[in-house]
Amino acid sequence: MALARDFYWSLEGILGAENVSEDPVVTESYSFPIRRKTMPDKVTYLPRFEAVALPASTAEVQAIVRLCNRHKVQYKASSTGWLYCDPVGPNCIKLDLRRMNRILEINEKGMYAAIEPYVVGAQLQAELMKRGLTCNQCGAGANCSVMPLASHVGLGHMSQSGSYTERNLLAVEWVTGDGEIVRLGSLGSHGDWFCGDGPGPSLRGIIRGNTTPLAGLGVFTAGAVKVYHWPGPAAWRVDGVCPKYTHPEMPPNFMIRYLSFKDIDDAFEAVRRVGEAEIGYTLMGFNAAMMASNIATDNQEDLDYLKRFAGQVQGVGFLLIIVGNSALDFDYKKRTLEQIMAETGAMSLKDVEDPVMGAGFAWRFIRITGSIRETSRATGWGGGTVGGSDVFPLMTRYILHTSHLKQQLIDQGLIMDDFTHPFIQSIEHGHTGHGEILIRYNPAGPDHIARVQGMLSREANKTAIEGRFGVPHHVWSDALHDMYGPNVGNYHLLLRKIKKNFDPGQASESSNYITAKEEK
Amino acid sequence: MALEDLRNEMETCRRCSACKFMPFEKVSGYQPVNVCPSISRYNFHTYSGGGRMVNGVALLEDRIGFSEKFIEVMYNCQVCGACDVSCKYAMDMEVIEPIYETRIKAVKEGHTSPDLDKVVNSLRKQGTMVPGARIKRGDWAAGLGLKDCTAEKVDVIYHAGCLTSFNKDMWKQAKSIVKLLQKADVDFGIAGEKETCCGGRAYQMGYQEDFLNQARKNMAMITKSGAKTLVTGCADGYHAFKVLYDKFDLKGDLEVLHVTEYLDNLIKAGKLTPKKRLDITVTYHDPCHLGRLGEPFIHWQGREVPGHIRIFEPRKEFRRGTYGVYEPPRAVLKSIPGLKLVEMGRIKEYAWCCGAGGGVSESNPDFSMWTALERVAEAEATEAQAITTACPWCVKNFNGAIKERGSNLKVFDVVELLARAV
Ligand code: SF4
Ligand code: SF4
Repeated sequence: MALARDFYWSLEGILGAENVSEDPVVTESYSFPIRRKTMPDKVTYLPRFEAVALPASTAEVQAIVRLCNRHKVQYKASSTGWLYCDPVGPNCIKLDLRRMNRILEINEKGMYAAIEPYVVGAQLQAELMKRGLTCNQCGAGANCSVMPLASHVGLGHMSQSGSYTERNLLAVEWVTGDGEIVRLGSLGSHGDWFCGDGPGPSLRGIIRGNTTPLAGLGVFTAGAVKVYHWPGPAAWRVDGVCPKYTHPEMPPNFMIRYLSFKDIDDAFEAVRRVGEAEIGYTLMGFNAAMMASNIATDNQEDLDYLKRFAGQVQGVGFLLIIVGNSALDFDYKKRTLEQIMAETGAMSLKDVEDPVMGAGFAWRFIRITGSIRETSRATGWGGGTVGGSDVFPLMTRYILHTSHLKQQLIDQGLIMDDFTHPFIQSIEHGHTGHGEILIRYNPAGPDHIARVQGMLSREANKTAIEGRFGVPHHVWSDALHDMYGPNVGNYHLLLRKIKKNFDPGQASESSNYITAKEEK
Repeated sequence: MALEDLRNEMETCRRCSACKFMPFEKVSGYQPVNVCPSISRYNFHTYSGGGRMVNGVALLEDRIGFSEKFIEVMYNCQVCGACDVSCKYAMDMEVIEPIYETRIKAVKEGHTSPDLDKVVNSLRKQGTMVPGARIKRGDWAAGLGLKDCTAEKVDVIYHAGCLTSFNKDMWKQAKSIVKLLQKADVDFGIAGEKETCCGGRAYQMGYQEDFLNQARKNMAMITKSGAKTLVTGCADGYHAFKVLYDKFDLKGDLEVLHVTEYLDNLIKAGKLTPKKRLDITVTYHDPCHLGRLGEPFIHWQGREVPGHIRIFEPRKEFRRGTYGVYEPPRAVLKSIPGLKLVEMGRIKEYAWCCGAGGGVSESNPDFSMWTALERVAEAEATEAQAITTACPWCVKNFNGAIKERGSNLKVFDVVELLARAV
């Protein structure tokens, strides 16, 4: 379905002809790219966007959104766009926010940074580190937007000490579904980014929800993120040539360990105590397979490391990075950890203790460069489900529930057997936790993806509901919200009202969020 | 290997966008961070390595064809290989190979760019990638009394290359090399009038048959000469002789060295000693085809082992740019008394391209200039007095950009500075 000419010309008028294209060569490249031949049949291909637009400012975004509303054309925005960016129907254009890539402000005293959506994690983190600051960035990686509303839930490897989007999100600039510019928090009253809740309108719950609207509620054109103290170097030393980088020095007062436990209760107890003592900078319940992927520079090496690490772990484990603000502080934290390890029977993975290997692990986990290796390198097709976040003891049980599910898939030969458990992570020193099942597989047969993902989704939803694990962060469709809503105070009705009120024309394509369909 | 054979590589693309950026471990600030000139200039995902993978598969499925837009996107890419390096930080898949093969398929099926056809016609008729050249290939060596390697036995052949031979501004590079080789008593010769294009740039543009013709001609001449070593001063030539000839099993035992590697060896062996001080601060630009693309070709034959992780039997090493030529040019510069080398933000495997590769300087001079201007600005930021490099194509592009920008920066080939210091 071609766009009406007056619509397209208006789009060109807003952006300049070179920043908009409806050529199939351009729109095709924004279509679902992964393993096409293995999809059941070509009918399942998602349609292309009708056009792709490259706005460079909030004013341009607003003009496009208003134009779309006038012409009843849908739009969908994304930044770096790792998956989840396709339209499910025709008559939808893409807003690629690539040109909105400025750091607007780093306020060292106010401890925040204001950014546009296309600033990626590596950029902001590097810029902050020069100033003795850092930020939590999305665990998906340094390649993803660091703007809290553009990076899914915003859980990251620093969430132990640096929380996640829900807490880190400050003021926001938002073009609503129908094209109004709303400035939230302090930005709405006197133009400063320091607070998301006032003075000025606080709509944090409205715009965020359990995850983020995944481009289904207008466009977030800028946002501020809380930043944290960084006691490390302005630049981590990285030698060698890609991907064989070496990291000859661990900075002073830094330590990394991978600890494993015979019993899940011991692991939980260790996490609880690390949290209680507030000694952890990073605490991620990674498994040995994720550790292997993180260090390996190819798949074969990945398997070699997995074999090697498997012999050095005794069960469920976690990665811990400890950072001291001074030698004394570091010493205290180190000794506290030693005591916790002794009392919980922790076994430390020796390779991670190695100063050079350890410095590499630490940097890759801090910069978050290993996620693509961990999730995508095996075959290009990874998968799984993003579980929920809830109190940490409950999420510990998530491992037991979901391990069973993962094993079923392995037994059927549908996914890779890496003989490890799904992972959970600790948030805010154990205040809450979050779990995910990440799997690796080759979708070899026509219905392979459908079988694996179907079973995973079914079972993961059952696990979440029956085990009361909180609403997973993979709930991104009408069908899922309608299923979860009645189990969770009918929140979906409220969410739908939000969608209707802030996007009355349904212009913001929201198949990955919730639509304003009428309730029966 | 045809595009069809690379389908699995392209389908392994995860659309993570890493190919748009330098390897994230090395990012040290807000800028510089971009590594792909094409996506940086045109911004649509289409122009990135990842976009090219998506569209490569779409082409095989007839979802799109070789339209005018396809050709425009295809050729607005310097085949600089930066996407390939950044992708392979995390992934086991080919990126630059499908980019080459898309071009080769386009040319085979008759979908070409008139600008590039013109260049290749010049290759076919005159044996050079510099159309309209009015001078003769061997003129640069007139009066130097060099040995003719096609008639006399020599240990080393010096291959000057098209741009150096046909552009008088570049003769100083060739003459510097001659001076240095003579100083070190190297038994070398040139082919002079009988030298012909390496074919490398034709390959980059997708004209594989023309490349192969050139490669066969060159190897016949070299084999006949009996020389065991070939030295080139041009990064494209180096890549062609060393990597591409090997890829097509044409290289045999020929040792191929870039002149900076050869000179570095001579300095280390005490056969050349830079004595004169050059009080100058310079930065060094890694040519793509000497740096990340200059690492040896890896022959591999085997199969992908069926399973849930892509591994190969026998084990497959991907070329990731790790073993490119990065240190020898730097070592040569550092051997010069008084010279201070300062580095730019993007270097070695993630260096920003000069803009001249892949036919871009011929098909889209504006984009080529835009790319060079970005590099010149980056060089200026180091406060160096000069940008040095090791390829005449880079020298030419930087000279153009410096003029356009009104910059005070000077441009030198590494060999020119060494020749002054020896
Ligand atoms: S080509 Fe590689 S780096 Fe680029 S999007 Fe695809 S997988 Fe990611
Ligand atoms: S080869 Fe260079 S210009 Fe072409 S897509 Fe890759 S990085 Fe961009």
